[in-house]
This record gives sequence, structure tokens and C-alpha cells, in this order.
Amino acid sequence: MLKEILFKNQDRKQLFIAMTGAFLGMTFLLSSIHYLIKVNQFGKGADILGPNTIIVQKKVTNASTLGMTKTDFTLKELDKMRAESFVQDVQPIVSNNFNISFRTDDKLVPYFESDVFIQTIDKDFLDVKVKEWDWTKESDYVPMILPRDFLVMLNTFMAAEGIPQVSDELAKQLNFKFRLRDPDGNKEYFPAKIIGFTNEVASILVPKPFMTYGNDNFSDGTPSKITQIMIAGKESEFGLVENMLKQRGLESKNAQMVVGRLKSVVGTLFIVVLAISIIAVFVSGLVLIQYLQLLLSKNAYEVRTLLRMGYAPQELIKRFTKYFGVLFGIVGGISLIVFLLMKLYLDTVFESGGLYLDSSISIWSIGALVLAYGLFIWSSYRNSRLGIYSEY
Amino acid sequence: MNIHFNQVMPKPLSSITHGPDSIWGRDVELNKGEHILLNASSGKGKSTFTMTCLGLRKDYTGAVLYDGENISAKKPSEWTEIRQTKLSVVFQDLQLFPHLSVGENLLLKNNLTNTYTEQELRDKLTTLGIGEKWDQQCGLLSMGQQQRVAILRALSQPYEWLIMDEPFSHLDKENANICLQMIVERSKEQDAGFVLTTLGDDHGYNYTKELKL
Repeated sequence: MLKEILFKNQDRKQLFIAMTGAFLGMTFLLSSIHYLIKVNQFGKGADILGPNTIIVQKKVTNASTLGMTKTDFTLKELDKMRAESFVQDVQPIVSNNFNISFRTDDKLVPYFESDVFIQTIDKDFLDVKVKEWDWTKESDYVPMILPRDFLVMLNTFMAAEGIPQVSDELAKQLNFKFRLRDPDGNKEYFPAKIIGFTNEVASILVPKPFMTYGNDNFSDGTPSKITQIMIAGKESEFGLVENMLKQRGLESKNAQMVVGRLKSVVGTLFIVVLAISIIAVFVSGLVLIQYLQLLLSKNAYEVRTLLRMGYAPQELIKRFTKYFGVLFGIVGGISLIVFLLMKLYLDTVFESGGLYLDSSISIWSIGALVLAYGLFIWSSYRNSRLGIYSEY
Repeated sequence: MNIHFNQVMPKPLSSITHGPDSIWGRDVELNKGEHILLNASSGKGKSTFTMTCLGLRKDYTGAVLYDGENISAKKPSEWTEIRQTKLSVVFQDLQLFPHLSVGENLLLKNNLTNTYTEQELRDKLTTLGIGEKWDQQCGLLSMGQQQRVAILRALSQPYEWLIMDEPFSHLDKENANICLQMIVERSKEQDAGFVLTTLGDDHGYNYTKELKL
């Protein structure tokens, strides 16, 4: 009976507008947050390097070949790049300035030795546990990150020798050794182990303390040059990083640039959709408040009379809040279903475009839906309370 | 519960000269169980008295006290309790829900305290001469029939005071007497008092007190 009294004077058209606005807002909110997170996660874990990180070097031109321009970086150039607002960090890739060879040291694989080129990068740029990426002279082994091509080459060698090939995981179990040699022929051996692989760097990566030790004790005396650097760009601002590279005559691996550019464009698109959906949720919330106030003013006589008869204001507030809670619960449920259907379609669209996103549903998007629903309920409660107590 | 009017003067009536026996601006005590007639001509403030007494109007000087407590300090939860169990009212404009049936109007009030069974309500409606109107939409009844529904609704709760603002204005003498008899019986059952405002007719009842405006 109370429902019949309190909700008889309704403008269904306005209610429909509020609900449609809420539905659109909630659906786009869910979609935009979900895809914003998934696009940002794209690439994480695929490589041992961070997802927004690129390795760049100066373009080699005829002038640099003739020695008229330099291909190495000065510390001043690095500082200038660090100062850019869209750059998160810039670190030099330090190369070895000493003679080093790499050999297998395990019964499982045949003996193999080669002179190698090693480099080191700051641990902030790596997706590895910080503890793992360190070395002291007392360490059991030197952790290293190998170019994936190196493993392919090793397996090709193994296949040619008629020995079973090794997987990524097995390769990490194998023992290796570095041999460092100074110009006078003094040698030192260090056990080494693979902790990961990368597609982005062509050299073996080692922790900085090991490189420093080598350069300090086995160097031929020539100063080491910075010919490559790592740049970490901020999310969705990759276009600006790309512009900076062009302006400064720098180049990077094309694949890294494409992924960065793609993520930046898609990420920006979803930020725009997110902004629109937040506005839609906000506007639909305002329409709801207006609708609720109109409903209360149309039913002012009924509310006043019930209060005078002895109905508790909290009971009436509960009725209004519950009514809108159920309505928005239905709208939220429909939004979730529509989002899931849209996701089925959008995931295939992204896949056909080469963007293989994680298909699990982002907890943050569900959280945003719950938050939006909570705000609607809170807003209904607040306005019901104000309207009902004004009739007291 | 005793109701005390402590020199209450409604602001809209403050410019009017009131008679020496008017309750406005004086100390007046409504003692528990009293049957009071409030007799006044139009415009003297009968409805203002009702609304002030019930705490629905606050535009006055002085104070209204329930058992010595100023009602202006009461919280909404206290008013809910008072309106459910201590004070009942028949408004001059009745304040029924016209689109609900007679039965629904009565049950809406009765269900708050479960004072009567549905059958008892139907029987009382029959006593008032409108037993067959239970399912009829209230807004379609005559004013006299609506007044009887409003009176029965006011009786469908426990109360210490029943305040009635011209409750018989559209009733003939016979129906007014039936209603008054039911009101008196119900009030005596609970040792409750009532205030009946009227334009002059005392309906032949011997009141314990008469107030003037």
C-alpha cells in the first residue's frame, strides 16, 4: 500500500531518460576502465624489459661513419631527455671495456665458448625481482639476461650435434662461466646463470656491479662510451617520446615503437571514453536527483500525511532508497551483461588487429560499477532524506 | 499526558484583540482524560490550535508543553512515537488518501499499531452507517462519509489525546451523535482525553471543560 501511495505520481518519461543515461554511463564506464587497464597491461611479462621501455641509439649517418659526428651520448644529453615531462626515466646502457668470453659449464650440454659483448642496464628498467639482479664477488653466480636469439643459436648448435634442445626453463638451470682477461693475459672465471631472456637487446645483460668490477680490473684503459640508452615513457604519452626521438636523430627497434604507439593511441582513446562515461554517470545522477525531487514534490501531500499519521521518516526514506536501489541494480546488471557481450566482440576486434589482450575481467572495472551504483544509492538516500524531512 | 499552553500566541493572530476568556496568550492546562469543547467562530484559530497542539505549527510565541517538556525540542523519532501512541487527530480537511479504498485508508493507520482486526474495523464502519463502503474509493464518498472514515481512522490507534478539528461539520445530528458516542467510548476505554472544536454546536454532550478562542 505504501508503494502505491508514494510512487503513484511518476513521470515515466523522465525516469526512462535517467535510467538510459545511467545505463550508458555504467556500460561505458565498465568498458573504458576494463580496456584502459588491459591495454596498459599489454606487453607486461612478455619480455624481461618494462612495457613502456625502448632502447635507442643515434642514427648512423655518412657523417658519423667519417667521424664528423658522434654516435655516443654525453651525460648532458641524458639530463636534457630526463627533464622532458613525458619521460619517466633515462639510463645509459653501459658496455664492457674489457675482454670477456662466455662458455658452457654443464654436463648436460656440450662445451661451447665464444667471445661476447656484455651490457648492463639499471634494474628499474627490468621486470625482474630486484634481489635477483645484483652481484658481489661473493655471489654464487653472475645473473644474466640473454638475447632470445642466443638460445635459438645454442639450440641450433645442439641439434647439429645430435643433442636434445633446451627449453627456456631448462636453460635457466644450466651452469655457464664468464672468463675475464686483462691486456697482460691475467684471467678470472665467474660462474653464471640465465635468469631471463629478451628480444629487445642483442647483447648479454649483466648486473651493474659485475660490469664495474670488470671495467675497473680488466680494462685496457680506453674510456667506455655510452652508445645506447634506455628510455621509459609515461603511459599514453608515447607519441611525445617518438617526437623527441625524431628531433634528436635517435632510432629504436621498429617493433618497440609500434607497440608503444599502439598502446598510446588506444590508451588515449579509452581515457576519452572514460571521461565521457564519468560525465554520463554524473549527468544521469543529476537527472535522478531531479527526478527524485520531482517525485517527492508531487507526493508531498502523501508523505506529509503519512508522517502525521505516525509513519517514521526513516521508513519512508528506506522505501525511496530501496525503490531506486532496485531500479539501478537492474540497470547495473543490464550494463554488466551488455559489457560482457561487447567484450566478446571487442576482444575479437583487438585480436584481429594483433592486440592480444588478457581476456579476464578487470576487477577495477567491476569496482567502478559498484562505486557508481553506491553513489546512485547514496544520492537517492540523501535526497530522499532531505525531501522527507522537509515535510516534517 | 498533560498538555500545557504557556502563553501561546500564534503570530498570525497576534494583531487581533482576543476576549478575556480566550486561551491565546494565557496559561491553559489540558489535563489527562478531560473531554474538552473548543467553541469559536470562524477565523478565531481553531485549526491553528489543532496544528499548534500537534506540533505541526511553530509560528507562535510562548510554549506548548507535554508533561512539562517543550515540544519544540522533540526529535522526529519522538514525534513518530507520540503520533502512533499518544496523540491522534481528525484534521478539518480530513487528510485521507482519495485514490485508496476506505478499507485501505483505515488499515494504513491501523497496521502501525494493530489496534483492531479487519473485522472489528468493518463492524465499526457498519456502526457508523457506511459498512458497505469498505471497498469503495475514498475520494468518491460524500464529505459526511469521508468524515466518518477519518474519525474511525483516528480511533484506530492507542492515544492519550484525540484532537478533532470540526469533525462533524458535514454530518447530520443523528450521525454526529453516533460518532461522538463512539469517540467517548473509545476515549474512556483508554482513560484518554479529547478536544473537539466546533462552530457553536455542543452536540448535546456534557464536557468536562470548555475553552474559548
